[in-house]
Amino acid sequence: MSFFMANWVKQSIRLLKHELKRGELTIIVLAIALGVASVFSLAGFSGKIKQALLNESTSFIAADRVLQTSRKIALQDNITQPIALSRDAITHKSQQLNINQAQQVLMSSMVFAGDVMALVEIQAISSSYPLRGELLVNYSINANELTAANAPELGTVFIEEKLLSLLEVAIGDVIDIGESSFVIKAVAKQIPDASFSVFTSGVKVIINIADLDKTQLVQPGSRLTYKYLFSGDVDAIKALTAWLEPKLNDSQRWFDIQSKQSPLANALNKAEKYLSLASLLGIILAAVAVSVASRRYAQRHQSSVGVYKAMGASLSHIRKLYYLHWSLLSVFSITLGLLVGYILAQLGFYAIQDYLPVQLTMNSVNNSNFSGLITLGFYPLIMAVFTGLLCALAFAITPLQELIATSPLVVIRGVNLKPSNQKFRDRVGQFLIPLLALLLLLFVFSSDLMLSVSLLIGGVIVSTLLLVFGRLLMRLSRNIGSKAGASWHLALANLQRRAHANSVQLVSFTIAIKLLLMIIVLRGALLNEWQAQLPEQTPNVFLVNIAQSQVDHVEQFIEQQSIIASDIYAVIRGRLTAINSDKIAKEVSKEQTDGSDNGRKGVGRELNLTWREDLPKENNVVQGKWWQNDLIDANKPQVSIEQTLAKRLDIKLGDSLTFQLGSEVITVDVSSIREVNWQSMQPNFYMIFNPQVLADYPASYISSLYVSADKKVQLQNFLSAYPTISVIDVDVMIAQLRKVIEQVSKAVEFILVLVVFAGCLVLVAQVQASMEEREREIAILRTIGAKGALLRNSILLEFVALGAIAGLMASVAMELTVYLLQSYLFKMQTSFHFEYWLLGIVAGASFVGVVGLLSCWRLLNMSSVTLIRRTM
Amino acid sequence: MNLNSEIILKTQLLAKHVMLEDKQLTLLQDINLAVSTGETIAIVGSSGSGKTTLLSILAGLDLPSYGEVYLKNKPLHQLNEEQRSQVRADHVGFIFQQFLLISSLTALENVMLPAELANDDNAKQQALDLLAQVGLSERANHFPAQLSGGEQQRVAIARAFITKPDILFADEPTGNLDKYTSTHIADLLFDLNKQFGTTLVLVTHDLILAQRCQRRVEMQGGRLINKQHLDHTKSEQLNTDTKIIQAENV
Repeated sequence: MSFFMANWVKQSIRLLKHELKRGELTIIVLAIALGVASVFSLAGFSGKIKQALLNESTSFIAADRVLQTSRKIALQDNITQPIALSRDAITHKSQQLNINQAQQVLMSSMVFAGDVMALVEIQAISSSYPLRGELLVNYSINANELTAANAPELGTVFIEEKLLSLLEVAIGDVIDIGESSFVIKAVAKQIPDASFSVFTSGVKVIINIADLDKTQLVQPGSRLTYKYLFSGDVDAIKALTAWLEPKLNDSQRWFDIQSKQSPLANALNKAEKYLSLASLLGIILAAVAVSVASRRYAQRHQSSVGVYKAMGASLSHIRKLYYLHWSLLSVFSITLGLLVGYILAQLGFYAIQDYLPVQLTMNSVNNSNFSGLITLGFYPLIMAVFTGLLCALAFAITPLQELIATSPLVVIRGVNLKPSNQKFRDRVGQFLIPLLALLLLLFVFSSDLMLSVSLLIGGVIVSTLLLVFGRLLMRLSRNIGSKAGASWHLALANLQRRAHANSVQLVSFTIAIKLLLMIIVLRGALLNEWQAQLPEQTPNVFLVNIAQSQVDHVEQFIEQQSIIASDIYAVIRGRLTAINSDKIAKEVSKEQTDGSDNGRKGVGRELNLTWREDLPKENNVVQGKWWQNDLIDANKPQVSIEQTLAKRLDIKLGDSLTFQLGSEVITVDVSSIREVNWQSMQPNFYMIFNPQVLADYPASYISSLYVSADKKVQLQNFLSAYPTISVIDVDVMIAQLRKVIEQVSKAVEFILVLVVFAGCLVLVAQVQASMEEREREIAILRTIGAKGALLRNSILLEFVALGAIAGLMASVAMELTVYLLQSYLFKMQTSFHFEYWLLGIVAGASFVGVVGLLSCWRLLNMSSVTLIRRTM
Repeated sequence: MNLNSEIILKTQLLAKHVMLEDKQLTLLQDINLAVSTGETIAIVGSSGSGKTTLLSILAGLDLPSYGEVYLKNKPLHQLNEEQRSQVRADHVGFIFQQFLLISSLTALENVMLPAELANDDNAKQQALDLLAQVGLSERANHFPAQLSGGEQQRVAIARAFITKPDILFADEPTGNLDKYTSTHIADLLFDLNKQFGTTLVLVTHDLILAQRCQRRVEMQGGRLINKQHLDHTKSEQLNTDTKIIQAENV
């Protein structure tokens, strides 16, 4: 007999067809489909968003990854003196991986226009620069038109506008750099990887890297920074990283935008964590929905299996019949889920397309033959199908097995909803399989075992606590109910009587509400934090190189114009030469340090040092005392060090540090270690001394101000009198940052909607699961003469009470989880959210109440006879 | 007994105990019963007397705690679940008080089910014929929820006869129906039974229905009392539920 002729196949398909048509499988189909749909759309969507954000933000380093070093990497391996990394090898590997490359060399130098000279930052770039972002130039100072450019032609330069006035030149004039002359071709308006560091004070001059030799500026001992830029597919970049990282030495740095300590990297990292977490919670919710729905599926089919068995169907017949039935159901649901997920993701993209960077939308148009649809890629597809299969298998296997093992006696004795005399081993297995499956899902999705395990263990502990606590609350409410009206009395008595079923229901309600609250609260906290990072009037201008004699004038100007400004900080350049009696080792390459290294690790460059009476804003002393608080030793020479540097150099409280300031050497003790918010737009320092040490040294000064658009002219006028003061305008950067944060926020909101949907489905599935029993009860109550209004109210109130209790417990659990997540995962300030407690309770009560009532509505409106006939 | 002497169903010293909170509860004790092929027998008794428990053991749905039960010479008490399923597939038909139609299958598909399980290629035609016999040709494609109680039980009767079982077990087949429908269903049951020559084991506390059987046995406290004829004095000891029926009977 062929497969399709077999009776069990025919029966299975027939059963499925009818049940689907009659809506008996709606919830289970929706549960699996939603799991698949949310994974498909979340993975696809958040993947795309991440990629889009990264593409946008990588413009801040003009590449996806940068290899930075102070020494040029040799062209090729020298046989006699093998080196770890050669440029040829890098080029070869990059070509293999289809990765784009660019190069730049940075150095300080003097430029001349006739007799006038200025110290500038030379940026020599290769023709493919920038790989990400845009270099915008203006070919005519009068036109406002900006053009995207690559490297200037040979013999020409792009300069920053300020240099025009410094050198008293115009576009088209000639300037001398080293031994060579260049024509000023354009003014550079936006340089993608312009340094945020306020201490690189030089005005930028961009030349073609092929012109560098002509200038003869590169001499042995010149201080140069080489940057090798790379861009390409995420996977290709990963592969390159894996290949390159082990070959790097101490002087070579391999970084991407996220590894830089910038507000942007911070926002991106947190957004990414949030998106992953939200996706994980979406999966958990979908899994809970599947497990609830599959239990109900098994219960519903119990009497059918009993009938089959009474009619003499063999175990293998029933097994085949129901395994096929379930498999077909899963395939159908997964397909539906993929379809829904695809539509959801498209809708999501459509909703936020205005916020997406042009690059993504353009790529997607190319990908989809101009149909305007975005392809989601294979990874989300595979993940979604995997999720669907795992959910359908792991969460349904126990109920299915129980179903198949149904005794034919149910035709006589009636359906037994709770399998009795279960072996302990089976009971453990019943929980273990879904838990392991969930762990696997979480791990595959997050690739973070710790996070997955802690989410799971936390979940199990919380569920157990909730189970106990929920029963207590129900008992308590029963006592209250006995003093209330008839509807309340009946409602709360029902709640208590079905305590077991209800406490399971309560746990899933609670978990669903908790996860939803969590996602909402975290979203709010993240958005607030991002907003707080860049509040209105964030400093947008840095004034650098202010001479001692100019400090008063600057302060006057700030006061006159009522400009918001940070304090003015002194800057003294100095080199850390020894920690205690240990000399700092000279910068050495990795090969040389292997084996015998006696010197201590140092900073490897000059540091910007300052002195202060009081602790700057956004600085916190984490160890030791700030000198103002130290009455005994306040006048002793001392220094406060930033904590990450202290850790890197292994400097402890009380260590004595020796600095070389020009020709002078000073030695001071470390009296405090500080935590610094590097994200604040104000001058920040690794080393701050007390006034006794540095106050008498010659210094330049620095300040950050917020200059509104209408005061820009006044600032320009003021500065024209002081040409030596450098201005760093970070307006463009702040605007870009705001845009990225706006995109992230939109993405976060979209994900929130999806997770809320998943949560609602759990609630509906759970309410549906209790319908059969309720049907019987309503029949009995109707028969003994309970009025419609009484029944309606008691059902509504029972669900309302259930929802409210779940909401309350969810709020408490959410508060705990959010606290842990904020402090350990997101590393942000923790806070309490009592306003969301009310939301949890009210939303829980009203949603569960309404869904419960709606689900029972049909039953409530049936005649007693129909009801009795249905339930007998 | 005016029937051929071949015994289709036999029990010896059958007993059933269950444990209830560490106490042993005896549901059946010392049941000795023999049913001949083609015989119709009613098991009557008050609620809780053990009728249904006995039926489930006789039909191989449950196992006795002690004693022997043979159906078509097969020792049910020695067979496992799977083997007993096979015996049921080969020889047994059922009619239940709650009808127990599969709600997501149509009337026709419900009737076809046992024939399909027996790999009968002609299941559909036979089912249509039987539905016609029970007067439900027009409702063949209706689902159970669209049928009245009486109609559902007629579908269940058609389902019970489709495999031409050697023995039919009926558990309160009219228990959920009104008096008029009950009579109609009983007529149908006994007509078909006669037509197919099926042995019928009927559990009921409807004495009128019981009287239509050739033999009646009464269960009392888990034991069997033979009752060839149901006399008036004894009938008063039966379940109070049957009082109205008894009055009519007198």
